[in-house]
Amino acid sequence: MPAEPILRAESLAKGFGEAEARVELFSGLSLELGAGEATAIVGPSGCGKSTLLHLLAGLDRPDAGRVLVDGRDWTALAPEPRARWRGEAVGFVFQLHHLLPELTAEENVALPLLLAGSPEGAARAAARELLSRVGLSRQSGAFPRVLSGGERQRVAIARAVVRSPRLLLCDEPTGSLDAAHAADVLELLLGAARERAGALLLVTHDPGVASRCGSVRTLTPDGLSAA
Amino acid sequence: MGVVALAAFVGLVLGVAALVGALALLSGFQSHVLSRLADETPHVLVTPAGRPDFAGEEGAGRTLAALPGVVSVVPVVRGRGWITARGQAVPAALTGREGADGITLDPSQSRQLSAFPGEEVVVVSSRSRLSPIGPVPITASLPVTDVAVASTGRHQPEAVLPADAARRLFGLPSAGATGYELRLADADAAADVAARARAALGETATATTTWQEANRPLLLALKLERLAIFATVFLVVVVAGLNLAATSAVLAATRRGDAAVLTVLGAGPALLARVFLLAGLLLGAAGTLCGLAVGAILAIVLDATKALPLPAQLFSLAHVPFRVTARDLLAVGTFSLLWSFVASLVPARMAARVDVAEALRAG
Repeated sequence: MPAEPILRAESLAKGFGEAEARVELFSGLSLELGAGEATAIVGPSGCGKSTLLHLLAGLDRPDAGRVLVDGRDWTALAPEPRARWRGEAVGFVFQLHHLLPELTAEENVALPLLLAGSPEGAARAAARELLSRVGLSRQSGAFPRVLSGGERQRVAIARAVVRSPRLLLCDEPTGSLDAAHAADVLELLLGAARERAGALLLVTHDPGVASRCGSVRTLTPDGLSAA
Repeated sequence: MGVVALAAFVGLVLGVAALVGALALLSGFQSHVLSRLADETPHVLVTPAGRPDFAGEEGAGRTLAALPGVVSVVPVVRGRGWITARGQAVPAALTGREGADGITLDPSQSRQLSAFPGEEVVVVSSRSRLSPIGPVPITASLPVTDVAVASTGRHQPEAVLPADAARRLFGLPSAGATGYELRLADADAAADVAARARAALGETATATTTWQEANRPLLLALKLERLAIFATVFLVVVVAGLNLAATSAVLAATRRGDAAVLTVLGAGPALLARVFLLAGLLLGAAGTLCGLAVGAILAIVLDATKALPLPAQLFSLAHVPFRVTARDLLAVGTFSLLWSFVASLVPARMAARVDVAEALRAG
């Protein structure tokens, strides 16, 4: 019996607007990702790559279809259990780091654990450990405003993986970085997915970044096609 | 955002401080008025019921003096009559009191009769006595010793004369009285002492009037004044609370991105609502506490330093009095905190319903 995929999206459709102003982004989109798989999604600006990630993370509702992570359909969940599920099962990395400016790097990384009810001491210890692994142990007490772009993104990656999520979703994670920092960040993401036997899905414009993933798919109005 | 939050905070501080200051001012003035009323009005007036006087009941005064809380018992003789001088006569309420050595006229009587201290007036009783030529009025000729408003609690122009003269005018035996004025150690215990006095002298044979009952219209007016001032200044706090609501709404709107990130990290709508509610409440609590402190300290300092003088001949007070009470602080603090809570509810709901995808797209 084949292993259950970590991510399964079935016949997703999404559009915006009403009546004549309606724009369909995609329909009939299906996708499966197994443990240890890394997939890049490419496509032109405005084709709906970020929207697809939001649907997969349960941040937006599809017009049709459903999303299962580890066999669980989040589209059937109420907002509160869906938020708990997302915190536990999904890690998200944005193009812009989206760190909370009032918190230090360590506090930002510890935040998902604190939201899940972990004791503060344990959460901070786990955050320090992860920051050390992304090469930022000396910056754990620094606020985001004093960190460089690459450092902020590494803090954001540490925050995304601190709860060991099964699914790591990345929206242009290297889009605001120079080539050297982008390579570092990509290596971290791929390593995190491999290490935790999770699945990695990232959207990118950069063919170089896409080529580092095991498979590359192009988003079209009819769904995903092989690049 | 910092400036907006600061403006909301300062607004709340000023509103709460204004409410505390206004209530302290009212409490100061009213406390002074109540204290004067309690000083100048008998705390309890005990009068006979169903008969005109306590004639033949000399033990009544001793019984009243033995009641707990009674400091002094003064027998009084009250009746009505006329005061005449220079061919003029004015009707008057008359009170005979031990220790008076002449008649004290009310200022209005003094003006009407043109009678002033040192002059003689004739007091004519409403009773008469029989003489060989028929009934003749009972009169007494008395020197005017003072012109002043009598502090008997009757709220009508009243003349005070020696008790013996009053007994003669109203046909009472020596030591007879139409009532007893009681002064108490604690003026606020007047109702209790009045009940005990009625029980001691016979419930159906005795009537009592406390100083609060004698001044009921004035006390009611004071209460209404307090309510009106509270309602007016209370609006300042309501406006400050609305400002807080606006600030919290701005906070919820400007931190929409952060709310979206928290949602991505696993925070549910209830937690987001609690975070923004707590932010509003903290701002409200800080503003309330500072407002209470500023208002109370200002009122205490103004009272202690007598910084706001008054023309004493007009107000019987040399300065504006302030009195800060724990009850006022508790009422203002509770209301302000409750209002801060209510004002934070809508922004908290806004934060809980944030459109995460839209907020993330907006950056």
